[in-house]
Amino acid sequence: MRELLYGQAINEALAEEMTRDEKVFLIGEGVQTGTFGTTTGLVNRFGPERIMDTPLSETAIAGVAVGASMMGYRPVADLMFADFMYVCADEIFLKAAQWRLIQGGTQQLPCVFMANVGGYRKLGNEHSRCPSSLVMHHPGLKLAMPSNPYDAKGLLKSAIRDNNPVVYLFHKGLLALQGEVPEEDYTVPFGVADVKREGTDVTVVATSFMVFWALAAAEGLKDKVSVEVIDPRTLEPLDLETIIRSLSKTNRLVIVDEDTSRCGFAAELIALVNEHAFDELDAPIQRVCSANYPIPGGIMEKFVLPQPEQIFAAIDKVIA
Amino acid sequence: MEFSQEDSIKLYVNLGRTRAFDQAAVRWMAEGKLLSFYHPAFGGEAPGVGGTTFLRKDDVIYPHHRGHGLPHLIGKGADPKIYMAEHCGRAQGAAHGLGGVHSEYPELGIYGGGGTIGSCFPVSVGWGVAARKNGRGQVVVCFFGDGGSNRGTFHEAANMAAVWKLPVIWVCENNGLAQYVPIESAYPLKDLVSLAPGYDMPGVVVDGQDVFAVAEAVMTAVDKAREGFGPSFIECKTARFGSHGVGNPDSVHGQPRDPSEIENLKCKDPILICRERLLEQGILTPEDVERIDQEMKEEIAETEQFINACPFPDDPSILDRALYAD
Repeated sequence: MRELLYGQAINEALAEEMTRDEKVFLIGEGVQTGTFGTTTGLVNRFGPERIMDTPLSETAIAGVAVGASMMGYRPVADLMFADFMYVCADEIFLKAAQWRLIQGGTQQLPCVFMANVGGYRKLGNEHSRCPSSLVMHHPGLKLAMPSNPYDAKGLLKSAIRDNNPVVYLFHKGLLALQGEVPEEDYTVPFGVADVKREGTDVTVVATSFMVFWALAAAEGLKDKVSVEVIDPRTLEPLDLETIIRSLSKTNRLVIVDEDTSRCGFAAELIALVNEHAFDELDAPIQRVCSANYPIPGGIMEKFVLPQPEQIFAAIDKVIA
Repeated sequence: MEFSQEDSIKLYVNLGRTRAFDQAAVRWMAEGKLLSFYHPAFGGEAPGVGGTTFLRKDDVIYPHHRGHGLPHLIGKGADPKIYMAEHCGRAQGAAHGLGGVHSEYPELGIYGGGGTIGSCFPVSVGWGVAARKNGRGQVVVCFFGDGGSNRGTFHEAANMAAVWKLPVIWVCENNGLAQYVPIESAYPLKDLVSLAPGYDMPGVVVDGQDVFAVAEAVMTAVDKAREGFGPSFIECKTARFGSHGVGNPDSVHGQPRDPSEIENLKCKDPILICRERLLEQGILTPEDVERIDQEMKEEIAETEQFINACPFPDDPSILDRALYAD
């Protein structure tokens, strides 16, 4: 099968959906150039009215996505860095997420907020966060976090076709990851986890870039431990069923998520497993997340961001 | 702008209905019928009514929070019944009892609103982008107060709308008070319209107690926007007769407002000004005025009956249906 880079897959998804539906447009600062290559070249095909370069105004960019979606358009707002969601928090978390319910459930807000997440690039506290729990904490939003080129394209196409606001977070560490992407039209449905590797001893639920490391850990341990790696792909909706099915086989769970540990996705999943599948557990659940600090600049970030050896240690602990 | 007799009467009736519903809302709140809070428009009815009464049905508005947008909704032709029922938390409210305030009338270009003051600006730019893409000459009229103009969101939105020459009209209802803080302590210049030149958009100051002056200024800006000349800024100098919200102290910087100042403001009551003008011009007779008063009383009574007959919502499954669209 043809192979594409993760960043190219995102670009192709945007191009295909814009061709498919004239109501789709892209808006963001510098999208005609494309900071990460994800939007580069689109302006040549679709023109500046649909690939809208903006002033440096995240609040207005997000506001355009919210407003235009109410009037029948399918805007994709490119916020560049997920950290910038804090700048337009009102528009994303109070307006996009809540408008439909507060107005009685008749309107639709089919907009996408896309942004890169993640550390390991020494970019410091305001360009390195992976704020998945922030999104999950606001019912009304959906959250997609692709871990490979195939999912990057398929999830973005689903996000654009969804009739609800979707936050689509791609990882800057995966942009150059190469993988199989079919030429024909396909989507990756929301709420369907993907078992990236089958195993029988331990279930590792990992998100985004952490899937890459979880798979590497599983490969490294293959002679000792049989690790099953599950990528939820969307955290809202969350496919808890697939996770519990895996747990009923392995009875051991490690969660690897790059967001800050405290009140993060891992904490939520631990609570959900306690509520729905406590009896399946043979060992306390382990989580590998960012430590509870701001993400420091320079080499100090390695003491806060999850590291591969912590994944090995967590697997060791649950099988001990 | 020429106002026909019919137009003039429409403005007067819309002002009067706004006042009547505002008074009813305050009473319903005291009686416990109206849930949550209420921020009457008393004294500040003319900018909303004048700025909306002559808009096209498919023009889009962001109602201001004074009177919870009653002047704007009534001016745009919305039936306040379901809106007030929503305020009273009923299942037949505009948002089925889920919203409380800021309800939608999508068929009238009213998509609702938010509770964070100043969040009107970015969303209005989004509506402006959609309106321009639609290519049907729709305009967006965003109403906000002197307080809202202090938000950073105004800068981002006004700038973007101006750069793109979007069909957005910014109507500032300057009543001189942001809750308890006077505008003199919140903005360094005398007129908020001073903001306009920074975005290369025309700006005018109008007497916000004269509904005709407001209508004329807004419709002039609307015509420009429809023709593709971009946004305008209109500052309406208006008044707040009472406190910020029902039950709030009517204070400024911690001190009660000077009663004589309020009496002076009340000398410029937009409804009385409009009535006098129409009586003087012979467009209305005292009998007409009495008949209109009577009709408004009947509308309020009908609304109250409607609300009383509406059950409260009690089916939580609507939350799931309202949270996500299929």
